[in-house]
Amino acid sequence: MSEAILSVSGLKKSYGKLNVLKDINCEIAQGEVVCVIGPSGSGKSTLLRCLNMLELPDGGRIELNGNEVFGHGKPKDLDVLRREVGMVFQSFNLFPHMSARENVTIAQTRVRGRSKQEADARSVEQLEKVGLAEKIDEFPDRLSGGQQQRVALARALAMDPEVMLFDEVTSALDPELVKGVLDVMRGLADGGMTMVVVTHEMNFAREVADRVIFMDQGFIVEQGKPDAVLGNPQEDRTKQFLGLVLSR
Amino acid sequence: MEQFFDTYFDFSLMAEYFGQVLEGFWWTIKLSVLGGILALTWGLILAVLRQLPGRAMAPVRFLTIAYIDALRGIPMLLTLLLIYGGLGTLQASGTIPKWIGVPEFFGYPSAFWYGIMALTLTYGAYMAEVYRAGIEAVPRGQMEASRSLGMSHGQAMRFVIVPQAVRKVIPPLLNDFIALMKDTSLISVISMPEVVQVGNDIYSTTCNPSALTLGALLFLIVTIPLARLVDWQIKKQDEKFQRGIP
Ligand SMILES: Nc1ncnc2c1ncn2[C@@H]1O[C@H](COP(=O)(O)OP(=O)(O)OP(=O)(O)O)[C@@H](O)[C@H]1O
Ligand SMILES: [Mg+2]
Repeated sequence: MSEAILSVSGLKKSYGKLNVLKDINCEIAQGEVVCVIGPSGSGKSTLLRCLNMLELPDGGRIELNGNEVFGHGKPKDLDVLRREVGMVFQSFNLFPHMSARENVTIAQTRVRGRSKQEADARSVEQLEKVGLAEKIDEFPDRLSGGQQQRVALARALAMDPEVMLFDEVTSALDPELVKGVLDVMRGLADGGMTMVVVTHEMNFAREVADRVIFMDQGFIVEQGKPDAVLGNPQEDRTKQFLGLVLSR
Repeated sequence: MEQFFDTYFDFSLMAEYFGQVLEGFWWTIKLSVLGGILALTWGLILAVLRQLPGRAMAPVRFLTIAYIDALRGIPMLLTLLLIYGGLGTLQASGTIPKWIGVPEFFGYPSAFWYGIMALTLTYGAYMAEVYRAGIEAVPRGQMEASRSLGMSHGQAMRFVIVPQAVRKVIPPLLNDFIALMKDTSLISVISMPEVVQVGNDIYSTTCNPSALTLGALLFLIVTIPLARLVDWQIKKQDEKFQRGIP
């Protein structure tokens, strides 16, 4: 396996008395697609949010490309981390006072330091890639959920992140809109993007993931190839969870 | 009834003193507009200071909150008298320079500038609270999305949070502006010849309050359209909300 781009060891996070992440250890390799599954409240979102420090972990270490970005209870090089790690949310979080194009452009000029023309050209290209060529100048309130989520994808991708984090990005979408978003993600995976995907879409996990991680109660309970974890789980808790999910 | 009209609506008196009352109202307008602009700006600065993140900024947040609480808890008249009484005295004793102690920029009287200070300090605190409500009404995900794109807290505030907050707070800020405009009348106590002071002087010499009625009408000409504007803005936003803005 090629070198780890993200490496997490002993990661802990609690909210008051509630220990949400207890001892998380994992490595994400360059170009790897990792799907994270698990019951509600198991800490999947919290893990992703700790990976780009939207929540500060309480302990453990996080390395990005071999450089420590969190350790000894403190974040380091937060700006580098957030620039290199993109995130897409369940609730899209588009900026409602900006058109699709401005949504994608703003961080390119303000954070990446690209010129207006360069950033704008990149925005148009990226929006075309996610299939929104006709919607470039629309505002978020005139876009469907699926279209909004694809703008959010374009917005994160235009920053050329090394790693992309996805938190249940299709959960808020009507069934017929899910496919468009998943197709874009499939394309990304095929293009070699490193991705950590929290999802309830078991078919997506089975087809696209290089590795599936099953989390429960703040631990990684089981991980491995999708066929192994989803088709032939070893742990009782995994079996129980998959039994519930797949029987639906 | 006729008695009533002669007392409050003596048209010949109104006509006679119209020029003077209008001159007073012109001071009211100048106080309101300059005081309003400065209070809007100062209030936004206070609101942003109050939202600065991190432990290092805790003293700044504390001082800002203390300031806002204090200025909202003191009657503006008292603040005005403290400024008026204090600055002149400090300047006379040589503690502070003249331009701040007895300011007379643009040839306007120092009472004008004391009034502007009181309006800015007091209404800045009120408006800071309005802005804060607006900032807090912007969904948390907006800040998270901005930060996850690599923006600093300051950039996120400037490009994402504040522009959305400002739209939401236009109606309450207009309400505060109406209140500010009415409170300019307090500045009459330090001999600012604004419309209430002028009207009252005319009343003293003529023993008829019609000049004050005229002043009231002038206020209404400005404040009623503003009140309608507030309602219209609120309605416009409700419609947008019903279309389902996230
Ligand atoms: N900001 C917070 N303050 C307090 N508790 C929180 C906070 N965020 C999450 N939690 C709690 O932490 C636990 C894990 O939450 P998390 O969102 O990581 O779960 P999840 O695995 O993503 O679940 P889901 O599948 O429902 O999204 C939950 O019990 C939740 O209530
Ligand atoms: Mg979650």
